Amino acid sequence: MTKTFRKISFRAAVAVVLCGIYSVAVINSQPSAEKSAANVHSKDDAKPMPVYGHWKNFTTKDGLPSDHAYCVRIDGNRVLVGTHEGLSVYEDGKWKTYTIKDGLAHNGVVSIDVSELTGDVWIGTLGGLNRWSAGKFETFSQLNSGLPNDLVYCVICDGKDVWTATAGGAGHYDTYTKAWEIFTEKNAPMHEPWTYGVSAGDGKIFIAAWGGGVIEYTTKTKKFKDYTDPDGEMEIDLLPDDGLVHDITTATSYADGILWVSTYFGMSRYDGSHWKGYFDHDSGLASNFINFIRAKGPVVFICSDKGLSSTDGKSWVTYKKNDNNNDGMAIIKNFGRNDDNTINKTTKEIPLSPSIAHNFIIGVDADKDVLWVATEKGVSRGELMK
Amino acid sequence: MKLNFRILTIVLLILSSISNITGQDKKQNYGKATDEIFPYQKFQKAYVYHFLVPLQFYGAGRELKPPSDLKEVRIGFLGPLEGSVIVSLGKQMLNGATLAIEEANKKGGYHNMPFKLMIHNDVGAWGAAANEVVKMDDEKVWAWLGSIDDIVSHVAIRATLKVEIPMVCTGDPDPTFTETNIPWVIRVISDDRQSSYALVNQIYKKDSHSRVAVIRANNRYGRVGIKIFSETATRVGHPIVIEEKFNDGETDFKTQVERILVTVPDAILIWGNAKESALILKQIRAIGLKQPVYGSDRMVSPEFLKIAGNLADGIITTCQYNPNAENPKLKAFQTNFFKRFGQEPDVFAAHAYDGMNIITESIQKAGLNRVLIRDLLTDLKTFQGYQGITGKKVFDDTWNDIGDIWMAEVHNGKFKFNPSPPMGTIHQTTKTGSY
Repeated sequence: MTKTFRKISFRAAVAVVLCGIYSVAVINSQPSAEKSAANVHSKDDAKPMPVYGHWKNFTTKDGLPSDHAYCVRIDGNRVLVGTHEGLSVYEDGKWKTYTIKDGLAHNGVVSIDVSELTGDVWIGTLGGLNRWSAGKFETFSQLNSGLPNDLVYCVICDGKDVWTATAGGAGHYDTYTKAWEIFTEKNAPMHEPWTYGVSAGDGKIFIAAWGGGVIEYTTKTKKFKDYTDPDGEMEIDLLPDDGLVHDITTATSYADGILWVSTYFGMSRYDGSHWKGYFDHDSGLASNFINFIRAKGPVVFICSDKGLSSTDGKSWVTYKKNDNNNDGMAIIKNFGRNDDNTINKTTKEIPLSPSIAHNFIIGVDADKDVLWVATEKGVSRGELMK
Repeated sequence: MKLNFRILTIVLLILSSISNITGQDKKQNYGKATDEIFPYQKFQKAYVYHFLVPLQFYGAGRELKPPSDLKEVRIGFLGPLEGSVIVSLGKQMLNGATLAIEEANKKGGYHNMPFKLMIHNDVGAWGAAANEVVKMDDEKVWAWLGSIDDIVSHVAIRATLKVEIPMVCTGDPDPTFTETNIPWVIRVISDDRQSSYALVNQIYKKDSHSRVAVIRANNRYGRVGIKIFSETATRVGHPIVIEEKFNDGETDFKTQVERILVTVPDAILIWGNAKESALILKQIRAIGLKQPVYGSDRMVSPEFLKIAGNLADGIITTCQYNPNAENPKLKAFQTNFFKRFGQEPDVFAAHAYDGMNIITESIQKAGLNRVLIRDLLTDLKTFQGYQGITGKKVFDDTWNDIGDIWMAEVHNGKFKFNPSPPMGTIHQTTKTGSY
């Protein structure tokens, strides 16, 4: 073996070792989205993702008090919409608006839920909480009740209990005992008590604590548990699928045993054992900036600043409006979700005419064959396409 | 054999390029951090890097016309004016903003309509700031300026996003403030991330200390500020030796100082408001600790110098601007401020003056439309490099001011200001002897 040859062999060996180390490092440090995604299985793989079309849009021209809609809730044959200028109710093809003159705590209505027990409507506003019952608005404020703060970002009903996420902590109101509980950093594992979203399911309450991840509260045991971004850093997500994608959470929604969590940095899914993260670069998510989410069965609807996305964890449908006209499309993506672990990146676009009212989505609700969407420029109603 | 080696080299290059496909490409470190101090950078490439591209606002509203019956152009103000331990800072901030408004009105306001400041007090209580922002929305302000307290500012930005009012922050240095991804907020004052980096550079690299004890305010200002310092110190190889806490209004720090004493530090860092920091300094010296003492930005205050007296000499802190700069605009501001309010302006007054000038200028250019004002404030062109009385404004992709940090050192009872060298430019030499 000549000296030169030995040198070359040595270099080649070094290169091989480096290659091996490097490729192992790359695989370990950055599991591809496809590799991770292949492990995600929704409960009902047989059901196809619903696609909505035949959109009809409503604005001030149709009777809304403002085009800026914050939230929407389907309540049987009527639809309740919260706008910047009041609460609007759509029934029998007509809109009727309620404002502070009718007893609303504030015209800015940002969250609505309906009690399954009583049919009462609970309304979170920029200036207090309302119960709308038997045609009358009752106001709960931080001065006349145990409401933590008058800015009620989210309200939900869970049996006899009403939960609020406010700018000053989470509030729990027992409608039977009329007692309030306030949860802040003093009695719950929150860094700070600025809460933004709340949802319920399977005896648990999931609070989106803005900057503090998700606070899980078990109603039976009254115990808390918190979920935060494991890397603890604001400027990065170190590893995919290791937990919450970010601590600045904006909403939670729980259905079919799955907890969905939205942030301004992507979305997370938790099945009780494993976390899965979704970003706009590795999934069908329209944008990482997510205002709100609502899960219905196996599907979660995601309100982003660039359109409405929906997914069952396997397939994605995103609704987008064109910039220059009222049309748009439903973009269907299968992103690495084949059952045999093969990669699938198929994309299909279905033209919609008209499309949703605007791409900046703030609220959504679905029921049977209908989807309602609250946007910054009107409210949209879509029908399930067969 | 040569061929084999070339093939292996090509394979290596291909693998190298794959790493950029699977992960997000990172062009530069956020916050002007060097690789040495960027989280996990020594060990692991992150899956996603945030804050490297400015977030756009894709919402509606750019087409809205202003009301035709306007008589004044309202701008909101939120600051600690009553019921807070930092009222003096809040009043300085209000005075700085007021002076800018008055000067703008002397020049004709907006199309001969006067600017009017809608003043709101924050009491530092959780949630209260959110209610004030909602009130500003009800008052139909076009933009607002505030605040100082971290808690207040954080609560307020969430509300400002909801009601969509542009916000200019001129007093809260909490790094996480602009790390919330809210495209309605800019900050016109350097943050505690930049201050922490400057202090780490000064303490560990320039002054070659290695065992630093920390005593900090037991509030969000202290907790978040020291977090960045502590993490950065660890990344340069020197974890802090102890972290003691104190409450606002506390006057006896004997317990904390005695705990610091037993750790045998070679330097001490105080992170808190001026009054408590001065009292701590006195008690540190009284117990016999002669180590160099460093401090956070709020020490740069006449109150600190007055209470600390001669003991203040040699103290080094950070400051977000140089009040002694030979800048004619700054000199004029200082003269006019004293004439108008009978006091010297502090850092909060100066930055509020800059911030309010930015607001009025953005309204002049964009017109009376919140979204268009927001667009202008955040376009990273119109106000990028803005020359204020506090210096040149350099905004990063989160609209955070990452301009110069100044090191303020007390000499003969007065602060002297020098620019801080950027991280990574100083290399540690040898460790100085410990006390």
